[in-house]
Amino acid sequence: MNSLCTDIGYHSLNKHGEQLCGDHIEIVSQGENSIVMVLADGLGSGVKANILSTLTAKIISTMMANAMSIEDCVATIAATLPVCELRGIAYSTFTIIRVVDNKEAEIIQYDNPHVILLRDGKNIIFNETAMEIEGKKIYKSKVQICQDDTFIAMSDGAVHAGIGREMNLGWQRDDIIEFMQMIYDCEFTAKTLSTLLLSECNKLYGGEPNDDTTVCAIKIRQRNQMNLMIGPPADSTDVNKMMSLFFSKEGKHIVCGGTTSALAADFLGKNVVTEMTYRNPEIPPTATIEGVDLVTEGVITINKVLAYAQNYLKDNECYTDWSCMRDGASLISRLLFEEATDINFYVGKAINPAHQNPDLPINFSIKMRLVDELSDCLKKMGKRIKVSHF
Amino acid sequence: MNIYVCVGSSCHLKGSYDIIELMKEAIEKNELTEKVNLSAAFCLGKCTSGVTIKIEDEIICGVSANNFHEIFNKNVLK
Repeated sequence: MNSLCTDIGYHSLNKHGEQLCGDHIEIVSQGENSIVMVLADGLGSGVKANILSTLTAKIISTMMANAMSIEDCVATIAATLPVCELRGIAYSTFTIIRVVDNKEAEIIQYDNPHVILLRDGKNIIFNETAMEIEGKKIYKSKVQICQDDTFIAMSDGAVHAGIGREMNLGWQRDDIIEFMQMIYDCEFTAKTLSTLLLSECNKLYGGEPNDDTTVCAIKIRQRNQMNLMIGPPADSTDVNKMMSLFFSKEGKHIVCGGTTSALAADFLGKNVVTEMTYRNPEIPPTATIEGVDLVTEGVITINKVLAYAQNYLKDNECYTDWSCMRDGASLISRLLFEEATDINFYVGKAINPAHQNPDLPINFSIKMRLVDELSDCLKKMGKRIKVSHF
Repeated sequence: MNIYVCVGSSCHLKGSYDIIELMKEAIEKNELTEKVNLSAAFCLGKCTSGVTIKIEDEIICGVSANNFHEIFNKNVLK
């Protein structure tokens, strides 16, 4: 195991008027540090394309993850895919990126726009070997990975964006490279990069894509641990134990909750200094304690973080809110969604008598549920989560 | 004079934001900006009866937009 990890972010736009997407992405992990990502684009659009691409992506990812050769995968697909009545062919393009031990990437491409590799934010041209399997021309590459290398795979909807609208020929791969080099920031996650590219495509399509458009970014990044504490321990004699475990952990420390931050400040022998500015009237102000990276209010803030996390996993539309605002929930979101790869939650199960008031929309079970749901969301973002209860 | 307004979860839900705004306004109107030090505070421990404020060492509970001016006149202006 090394200190790198694979961060994957992807999203699709459906062809205007279609309920189903004809592109499909499938990701299978092989142990701790290896993954296979398959992006397939089925012939046509709607239900038929959706079935073709789902079958293709599922078959290839499963077979590749079980160490079968690309020749076998392609032969299986050719034998399995239903033949289109209209065109007399069974067809779905695909791009496979397999990351091995976060050291080497194997890229196999069939008829999709070719994968872009950004190293330190600059486009890198890598060797491609052409081969023919079952009459299909397939390109194979192997790349030795450096930290922060970012691979961008896409369906042809991305390079067709803007045809007949903003540009005569659409958005060429070179234009996409230029755009990605321009927006690249080392701090951006794979999800952020793919969201930014996809929203640019959507803009070029005038919000009505002529084709299913999918973008997947894979970034090999340094692991980064983060610790978040919320709530005092159920047994007040456990305060010191909880605090010393929490503060002995490597990485940044976030403390949520009024009582919890008072206890943390006590433990550190410092004061809680509360900010008075409401950056966002919905979210209580943050505070500072020397030695703690971020101090916020508890349930209301975390509730907002959960809403942002759920949105992140869907279309990430709220990205523009939490990526630049300075309120507690946005600050936590940036730390957890973007900076962290490994998160330790320290959850105190003390019941705050004031929160048991039926007039208030917060109570103990809600607090526990919030943490559970948030850690589920973070796991879906590909993060390693550990929750300890006190 | 030090004034703290609680911005803990319960008080927040009961309207800390409005109380801070009212407080800023009242302090300015009465030309007390030099004399009064207004801050926010995490939980003042009176969650069931917010919004809670603390003027020097005296804790006042149940502050709302309705009784704000009465409390301000009585405790701050005196």
